[in-house]
Amino acid sequence: MSCDPERVTGYVDDALPEEDRAALQAHLRECEPCREQAGFETALRGRLRALAPLDVPPGLRRALRRQMRSTSPLRFAAAVLLPAAAALALVVFWLRAAPPFVSWELARDHASCFGRSKLPARMWSSDPSQVAAWFEKDGLAVPVVPETVGSAVLIGARYCALIDRRVAHLYYSGDDVNISLFVLPGSVRMEGGYDAEALGQTVRLRRVGGTLVGVVSSSEEAVETLERALTRTVARLDAAP
Amino acid sequence: MTREERFEAEALPHLRSLYGTAFRMTRNAHDAEDLVQETFLRAYRAFDGFTPGSNIRAWLYTILHRVRTDAFRRSRRSPRTVELADEGPAVPPPQDALAQGGEDLARALESLPDVFRNAVVLRDVEDFSYQEIARILDVPMGTVMSRIHRGRALLRQALGGRKP
Repeated sequence: MSCDPERVTGYVDDALPEEDRAALQAHLRECEPCREQAGFETALRGRLRALAPLDVPPGLRRALRRQMRSTSPLRFAAAVLLPAAAALALVVFWLRAAPPFVSWELARDHASCFGRSKLPARMWSSDPSQVAAWFEKDGLAVPVVPETVGSAVLIGARYCALIDRRVAHLYYSGDDVNISLFVLPGSVRMEGGYDAEALGQTVRLRRVGGTLVGVVSSSEEAVETLERALTRTVARLDAAP
Repeated sequence: MTREERFEAEALPHLRSLYGTAFRMTRNAHDAEDLVQETFLRAYRAFDGFTPGSNIRAWLYTILHRVRTDAFRRSRRSPRTVELADEGPAVPPPQDALAQGGEDLARALESLPDVFRNAVVLRDVEDFSYQEIARILDVPMGTVMSRIHRGRALLRQALGGRKP
């Protein structure tokens, strides 16, 4: 057998098949250079194995534990999802009381209800006291509302679900004019009232008595008329003995 | 035992030897720490796919080498494109410091091209079998033997041809 230094390495590492091993052993008996190589590699192995182990940097173990904790699914929920949800809740909470947001919600709902081929009222009546009574069943106090606003007449009402609240929605309709009167639960950050233009509609947020109302129409004049009527009736009620 | 506790109990005891190998691969503490962190992160994520009772040490080393290879690929420097200079590694032949601890040996090891050093470290420092090394480095057994052989031959040259 001729010299094959790679196989000598395999021999030192006990990685040769049995028959090769025997043949190499025979070769080593006769070959000085290969024997020397085997001797060197065996000694080298011993020295390398005995190299002083390296110290782990003091912070590494801690960093690994921290890293592990931050990748656990539960920790992920705790560290990322929950704060995100909390932040979202906070934003919604903040938006809920922001007049521009509420105005936009009301304008959108007004357009959506009157935009249908058939008005989606749940109760049909032109009698303000009947409408008020319908809402009162659920414990919602609706302020005294007028029967007509200019050419528009009260025709019905329903509850509408907005993004963040459920509101009473009263419909007035007349020649070329539709008006919405909303009674809103919850609060809105405003002093006195809030006027806005949203989605091409005129929106007024007002406090009438202790109740928060919103008036929406594409006709600014109609909005003003309804607003005046509302404050008048409230003033009249307040003035009553 | 939670998954986290199981991983800690099984994988963390190998930190010292993994770090040692990472250090010998990267030749500096900072890169070695990064390498080990990334290795443990990947191992932890893949821990569900690890068969309990099988060789976790070899598994961790396989990940270590994969992380290292990926890092090389990202930086477009392949650890495998190594030219073997005939004049041998650029390490001064050792004086007679061999008897005083492994400093010269460690330096000679450091001077080896990556592919040979990694094979020698896995075999001689970490005592893996050829079969395990083949799996860790994702190369055939014959390649493992040839790399170890050349690595040791280069070390012999670096050590001035003397017995270690």
